[in-house]
Amino acid sequence: MISVISSEWYKLRKSKVLLLLLVAPLVGLFIGMSSSLGDIGAINPWYEKLVMMNFTYAVLFLPLISGVLASVICRYEHQKGGWKQLLALPVTRGKVFLSKYVLLLLLIFVMQLLYLVSIYLVGMIGGITEPFPMDIVWKTIVGGWMATFPLIALQLWVSIAFKSFAAPFAINVIFTLPTILVINSERFGPYYPWGQPFLMMNIGGSAEDFFFVPWDQILMVVGGSFLLFFIGGYLYFQRKAI
Amino acid sequence: MEYIVETKNLTKSFGKEKAVSNLEMKIPKGEIYGFLGPNGAGKTTTIRMLLGLMRPTSGSVQLFGKDMKNNRIDILKNVGSLVENPSYYPHLTAKENLEASRKILHAPKERIDEVLKLVRLHGVRNKKVKGFSLGMKQRLGIAAAMLHQPELLILDEPTNGLDPSGIIEMRELIQSLPKEYGMTVLISSHLLSEIDQMATRVGVVTKGKMIFQDSIETMRKIAQASIQIKVNDNEAAWRSMLANGQKADLGEEHINLQVEDDEQVAASIDYLVQQGFSIYRVQEETRSLENIFLEMTKEEHAE
Repeated sequence: MISVISSEWYKLRKSKVLLLLLVAPLVGLFIGMSSSLGDIGAINPWYEKLVMMNFTYAVLFLPLISGVLASVICRYEHQKGGWKQLLALPVTRGKVFLSKYVLLLLLIFVMQLLYLVSIYLVGMIGGITEPFPMDIVWKTIVGGWMATFPLIALQLWVSIAFKSFAAPFAINVIFTLPTILVINSERFGPYYPWGQPFLMMNIGGSAEDFFFVPWDQILMVVGGSFLLFFIGGYLYFQRKAI
Repeated sequence: MEYIVETKNLTKSFGKEKAVSNLEMKIPKGEIYGFLGPNGAGKTTTIRMLLGLMRPTSGSVQLFGKDMKNNRIDILKNVGSLVENPSYYPHLTAKENLEASRKILHAPKERIDEVLKLVRLHGVRNKKVKGFSLGMKQRLGIAAAMLHQPELLILDEPTNGLDPSGIIEMRELIQSLPKEYGMTVLISSHLLSEIDQMATRVGVVTKGKMIFQDSIETMRKIAQASIQIKVNDNEAAWRSMLANGQKADLGEEHINLQVEDDEQVAASIDYLVQQGFSIYRVQEETRSLENIFLEMTKEEHAE
């Protein structure tokens, strides 16, 4: 299993796509530095920056970039018979699927850490003197990451199924864009998987809950859609004729 | 007899179409098995099933005496393969392509340079594969297949895209494998001439059915000369000969006589003369293996 992941990492590392990981944190940095919401009644300047940055990052860039990475990790397999070559090696399809998935999770986690650095830089450059609110920030980092689990599973499924790069991306955009509207709905917001990264990074969410959203919502919506997409993709890949 | 590859009633259907039907392939250890058939005969489908890339509709695949269904990983550790057009990662160099497979195969690092030298790609090892010619890609595919010194090498149309000198090189390389490493090789082609000079066994497949499977010597025997006789009434002469217990086929313009020695030819002609047939021509026809192959596959088409 480790050897399959290491082979996957090797193939991915050699494609220059890792630069994509920088895009979202840089956008975050840019937003954090450029504008100001004015007085939104935040407890301290860190909170104000977080609210601003998290919105664009979590609603748009986090889900979009995750999807693109999932496509990239399958793209070179589709291009010139890579699937055939890979699956004629002594590996099970399950391991290949799982390795690609785990690698994606790790990459997104790295992206989240880079975003954490962005937040810190914004504060440093902006001259915020209050202490860095690590107790809140790490929850948004880890929470946002966990919320992408189901999205990555679906994108991996779709990327394996379609040879073209455009199809998975289109599906990704179609589900991601409505998030801006859906998260404003009290009725549908909590149940929309693509809205979860924002909700779990939204420090303005309910303060009593550990990850800003109730645990049963995390389990049901994030966990449920994760199971659905992961098992669906896994079974699809098992049966796919190569 | 120990078979490295053995399929039983192997069948694969796509909808109503049977791409492979009741195929019984047997490859003994140390042989170079030429898997022959016209395009679309079911060669690649069979090979995909041998590698577990595709599930058979029915029947079984056994490699090294183990069933593919339950021992896929175990089996594939000892199999190297090149399926259809070469597979590669275009964004990686030749060396990196092999490294990606090596990590999974747990082969020693030195093997990469060894196999690259073997297929004469060592000089371009640090070039991106997307710029390679088809022949170079094909050779890289063979290098990848030999990375872990497999006991069985499965090469699907490996000479595709190679120039004549490349084909000769490839042939020499493949011929040396059983002797030097004890490998068994399965090599498919739609051209008999390519396989003729290296195969020790031949399997001919057409329309998904195995129509001939034996040693290349046996196939050559069939190719041996036959005697063609033309008389005033071919059909009557043919019937008469059959009635007399002689082996003969009726061709369009002559009778084909299958004989083993000259005496038999003399006896047959003598018989025809006695029966009062006018003999116009007696000639020897040597058929090439290629002709036999064409005939074999043509008969099936006629159905």
